[in-house]
Amino acid sequence: MSTEKSLALVLRLVDFSETSVIATLFTRDFGKIHGLAKGARRLKGPFESALDLLCLSRLVFLRKSSDALDLLTEAKLERRFRAAARDLSRLYAGYYVAELLDELTDDGDPHPELFDFACETLAALDTGPQPVSSVLMSFELSALRVLGHLPLLDQCVECGTEMNGSGRVAFGMLAGGVLCARCRPGKPKVVSLSGAAWQMLRDYAQSDEKRPSGEPDRRAYGEVRGVLNQYLSHLLGRRPRMHEYLGVLAS
Amino acid sequence: MSPSGWCGSPALDMAQLSESVTRLIEEFAKLPGIGKKSAERLTYHVLRVGSHEALALADAIRDVKQNVRHCSVCFNLAEGELCSICSDPRRDRGLLCIVEQPRDLMALEQAGSFKGLYHVLLGRIAPLEGVGPDQLTIDALVERVRTGEFREVIMGTNPTLEGDGTALYISNRLADFPVEITRLARGITSGSVLEFANKEILADALAGRQKF
Ligand SMILES: [Zn+2]
Ligand SMILES: [Zn+2]
Repeated sequence: MSTEKSLALVLRLVDFSETSVIATLFTRDFGKIHGLAKGARRLKGPFESALDLLCLSRLVFLRKSSDALDLLTEAKLERRFRAAARDLSRLYAGYYVAELLDELTDDGDPHPELFDFACETLAALDTGPQPVSSVLMSFELSALRVLGHLPLLDQCVECGTEMNGSGRVAFGMLAGGVLCARCRPGKPKVVSLSGAAWQMLRDYAQSDEKRPSGEPDRRAYGEVRGVLNQYLSHLLGRRPRMHEYLGVLAS
Repeated sequence: MSPSGWCGSPALDMAQLSESVTRLIEEFAKLPGIGKKSAERLTYHVLRVGSHEALALADAIRDVKQNVRHCSVCFNLAEGELCSICSDPRRDRGLLCIVEQPRDLMALEQAGSFKGLYHVLLGRIAPLEGVGPDQLTIDALVERVRTGEFREVIMGTNPTLEGDGTALYISNRLADFPVEITRLARGITSGSVLEFANKEILADALAGRQKF
């Protein structure tokens, strides 16, 4: 058993008793952990108000053996996610970030880059003015890239032929990327994308500042959503819960 | 095969226990916050005390389940159609406070200063836990506000992200009614000092400042 410290985002809280909770946190340095916070609901104490959903906190915890719950001993609030004060779609978008982090990452598998980007994403949702559609698409594609699930977009997943985006592009859900005209026949679960939609996916999948941040073109966006929604559902084995609540994610 | 385990050692072999004892342990273990060890301790306690005392617990549970239900108007706990608050003619019928659970209502009642009526949501909107607005008593609330004569609706949901989100959802649903919507104040605790308040809590206090 060792004492560890890390910045952490609160992803899930389950009541354990009147005052204690079991929290799922995405820590910057240790990845996803599950810990018991005794007295977390008390006003005074080592957690104050630092263990609410989507809070960014400085966490101190005791690591237990492999399958036991960690014990959270202290949390200091760094930043609270405040979208619930103004805008439901921004709040639900925040929940969606929590859902993806929880579903896509493994316990004890740290990804500091994804952690930092999740914090930036929550800040962008909180303060605006970037549209929710664009913020979420950037986050989804970044998460997929960092975690090694990003579909191959520039070249055919089967044979490596460079795609040039002239005409429509075939995207194979199971193949995990685009398919050239030669490789496409006979592949299951293939959808076809317009050149504009394909370009939008590539733009948002970039890892740097070149990523767009404005209101995405409506038509291409609808197509991209369709592909992304199917791809994520395929990856998670079910439709993400928050899709039902987020009109901006409709294709 | 000594029965000494009954008086302390928790290392009981379940196979040695009678079926009804095992059943009681299992039932206790289903209670919130009660683990296997505590369930065993509670069971030993029941076995130790006199049957009068033990059966009083059983009777109390039966009475609660038979007599207590949700008030048909506000969803507070009630022994009958209406709860004691809804049926009290001295309460201010122009004032409505929305809370998540009956226990929140009880806490506010113990504070003693609120004289209006309540509406208990029986939960909060928690999409990640599979709880949507349809699983709460929000439709009944909207109907109450539509047909009632409330001048003010107070959001008394918990000051958590989900509690605030639930309040925001409800205030959107009530936006078209001629009723003032307020929420409980939050921020710095009375008797504390600014210097030691967390900066986020100070931000809450500033956002919720009021006329002097
Ligand atoms: Zn190919
Ligand atoms: Zn009532």
